[in-house]
Amino acid sequence: MKVKVLQWHAVASWTWDAQDETCGICRMAFDGCCPDCKFPGDDCTLIWGACNHAFHLHCILKWVNSQTSIPLCPMCRREWQFKG
Amino acid sequence: MHLDDADGALDSWARFCSLSGELVGGAGDLSVGPRLAPVVADLCARGLATLVRDYFLHNLEETFRNNAVKMFWQKFHPYCNSSAVERIKFCVQESWPEDVLSIALEDICLEKSYQEKCVLVLVHVLQSYEEKTENKLKTVEFSSSLMPRYQLMVSSVLLTTLPLSFPEILNIYFKKKLEELNTMMDGSDETDLACHELFGRSKVSAWDSKMDIDGQETVISESGNLVRNIGKVVRDLRCLGFTSMTEDSYSSAIIWLLKSKVYELAGDDYRIPVLGRVKKWIQAVPLQFLHSLLAYLGDSVDYESGLSGLKSPLASRPSSFPGIGVPSEALLRWHMRLEYFAYETLQDLRIGKLFEIIVDYPESSPAIEDLKQCLEYTGQHSKLVDSFISSLRYRLLTAGASTNDILHQYVSTIKALRSIDPTGVFLEAVGEPIRDYLRGRKDTIKCIVTMLTDGSGGNTNGSGNAGDNLLEELNRDAENQENADYDDHTNIDEKQAWLNSESWEPDPVEADPLKGSRNRRKIDILGLMVSIIGSKDQLVNEYRVMLAEKLLSKSDFDIDSDIRTLELLKIHFGESSMQKCEIMLNDLIDSKRTNSNIKTSLLRTFETVAGQEETEMSHDVLDATIISSNFWPPIQTEDLAVPASVDQMLSDFAKRFHQIKTPRKLLWKKNLGMVKLELQFEDRNMQFTVVPVHAAIVMRFQEKPSWTSKTLATEIGIPVDSLNRRIGFWTSKGVLTESVGPDADDHIFTVVDSMSDVNKNSIVNESCEAFQMTEDEGESSVASVEEQLKKEMTVYEKFIIGMLTNFGNMTLDKIHNTLKMFCAEPSYDKSLQQLQSFLSGLVSDEKLEMRDGLYLLKK
Ligand SMILES: [Zn+2]
Ligand SMILES: [Zn+2]
Ligand SMILES: [Zn+2]
Repeated sequence: MKVKVLQWHAVASWTWDAQDETCGICRMAFDGCCPDCKFPGDDCTLIWGACNHAFHLHCILKWVNSQTSIPLCPMCRREWQFKG
Repeated sequence: MHLDDADGALDSWARFCSLSGELVGGAGDLSVGPRLAPVVADLCARGLATLVRDYFLHNLEETFRNNAVKMFWQKFHPYCNSSAVERIKFCVQESWPEDVLSIALEDICLEKSYQEKCVLVLVHVLQSYEEKTENKLKTVEFSSSLMPRYQLMVSSVLLTTLPLSFPEILNIYFKKKLEELNTMMDGSDETDLACHELFGRSKVSAWDSKMDIDGQETVISESGNLVRNIGKVVRDLRCLGFTSMTEDSYSSAIIWLLKSKVYELAGDDYRIPVLGRVKKWIQAVPLQFLHSLLAYLGDSVDYESGLSGLKSPLASRPSSFPGIGVPSEALLRWHMRLEYFAYETLQDLRIGKLFEIIVDYPESSPAIEDLKQCLEYTGQHSKLVDSFISSLRYRLLTAGASTNDILHQYVSTIKALRSIDPTGVFLEAVGEPIRDYLRGRKDTIKCIVTMLTDGSGGNTNGSGNAGDNLLEELNRDAENQENADYDDHTNIDEKQAWLNSESWEPDPVEADPLKGSRNRRKIDILGLMVSIIGSKDQLVNEYRVMLAEKLLSKSDFDIDSDIRTLELLKIHFGESSMQKCEIMLNDLIDSKRTNSNIKTSLLRTFETVAGQEETEMSHDVLDATIISSNFWPPIQTEDLAVPASVDQMLSDFAKRFHQIKTPRKLLWKKNLGMVKLELQFEDRNMQFTVVPVHAAIVMRFQEKPSWTSKTLATEIGIPVDSLNRRIGFWTSKGVLTESVGPDADDHIFTVVDSMSDVNKNSIVNESCEAFQMTEDEGESSVASVEEQLKKEMTVYEKFIIGMLTNFGNMTLDKIHNTLKMFCAEPSYDKSLQQLQSFLSGLVSDEKLEMRDGLYLLKK
């Protein structure tokens, strides 16, 4: 007997594969989305800082814009720089 | 005159006796009058007037009793002396009791009218005496009271000798005559026109001209003749003092006929309106009959005759009846009485069959419309509520009825009753037992969600549009309503109505239904459905689980109908409630796009790698549904070692995903999905759509034709008992055979490569059912709401057991409140419905028992 696979419809889940589970700013799951977004994934991406802390892009942008002086990482208080 | 002369008195008395004997007993000879006058005058002058009157009346009574009355009743003896069974023989004779009755009445009335003439003779004698004497006061009484006393005597003699079955005979007579009349009308085709013509003509030519003298040669219609005969009988009966007995008799005959007419017209067909026909018939038959009868008897007072000074509240009612003209007040009373009776009869009939009518709804809406009109007239809505609730309990709310059937009947009930009762007051009363019952069933939520969202499932009885779900239908209704009266029904109202529905309370019973539905809350079917479940969150949650299950067992990305359903749910439940579901559907849309990106790039890469073996799978066969797992219900994952070739494809796919979407990664849930296979044997090919574990099992048999369950389980990476359960699928399809190996608990499975020794006919069958397995053999990939709840509730189980150990037994509410009060760690946040469904799980696990609404520990 031979088996020919005509179609294999598989199921997978995606993950950002960040160290933490939740965003330190909005406390929502990384694999979820920030409070301003409707859909996770492409629409609400993650961004890593030079300090290696990750946040929702929208969350850290809001944070950075709200800072009057030099923006610091909300987690480690080092100067915030986007990881190159 | 010598008033003190005793001999003279005796002499006069003797002469009076002989003369009155001659008069009363005489065969129609009234010539004694002049001779009687002096004798009576003499006796009256002697103060013996009372004696004269009493003797005379007594004489009449004796004669009447011994001749006429005796003969009269004798004519009915044969019937009266018969047994109940024999009486039927009389009834079936066509001319019975008509002939007997009319002959008997004729005879006795003849005798009576002769006696009346005799009475008049004495009255005249007394009157002329009274005129001569001054002392009028004393004697006036005698002349004028003589006739009434005579009439009283006649009727009391008859009534005291009345056989018990005489009213029955009268009743039979009227029934037969009315039926005859009814048949005549039926013969005239029941159309308005025919009735008009028949009665129109008879009114002009027959009634009016006939009324003055009987027996004139006029062209009298058949029905006119019939009514005239009845009228004669009625007149005779009245003359004998049977007035009220006669009226009762024909009234009850009319009512009886009306009732049987209503039954005949209404029948068991609910698809045609009957009320209009019943009303028409009332005018065509019983009212025409009564009109003619009353006119014949001279009872009717027509408004036309100028006596309208007597204004009754009915006077402003119908101005004219067909064939009758302006009806008399008596006739109007009859009309109202008959209509009321018809409404009540039809109403009772329909209420008795309301269960069937609602099963037939909406085809049965004419019957519902009739019922509505009847109830508006009689105001007996409570009858409907009581009767319908008891038939629900008896016929629907039983263990044998499926939850789906109950729900469908519930929805039909809502739809049917809201037209009868736009305020929803009675619907609330009727719906409560259904809702209560459904709350006790475990599959209720699931069935409701299926009914709301699934076009193909649920509605199996074929009514309603195919592929149309309830939600779709409700939405269409709402749109239609909006178009019909947009002023009181905007989208904001809809939402508000939805919000209100959870805190909805029935109106007081005395709420006036005439206040109109316009200003009132609309009956919200969806709200009523949700109130069964308890909250919309539970409904949404169940929907999400069912949607997840459906999406994960798809082999394509076609979700158009699910998107449409979601849009409808968003309208009713609000966008935020449906957000997770929206993300799930969006995952499918994204997956479709990502799949095609990855596949094109993979194919391009592998085309360049030359010399690929034909047996190697092309990346084309792989599709992947990529989910945002945070927004999906908990998914049951299980280890599974898929064949190496498939595994390679999966990792190629995942790598490419990582490249495209970096830094995102894919995590395969290898036990989930759908696989289409073609099994190629020496003599046949078979196609199957199976879950991955089934595919993984059967593909191992390419390497070697026989496997023991233990080794195969290890290879595939699943427990042996799980393998044994799943491999049954392939043995049942005849692909594998099972035999006992050296080890008793280790079975050997061998592939059946040639069908030559098995039945070849089954090949055809196999290919037919090739793609149908998923329903019962597919496995649930998502933890059901019930399972989730069970997991969450398990922490409270020990509290519940502890409470019941202390208290013995508790109601649902008590358990709920106690948990709320005392359960701090973890705090108790479940709804009453959730608790109930958890408890019913414990009951079916035989940990608890439920008796009379009380939960107790199972011993
Ligand atoms: Zn965030
Ligand atoms: Zn965002
Ligand atoms: Zn940092």
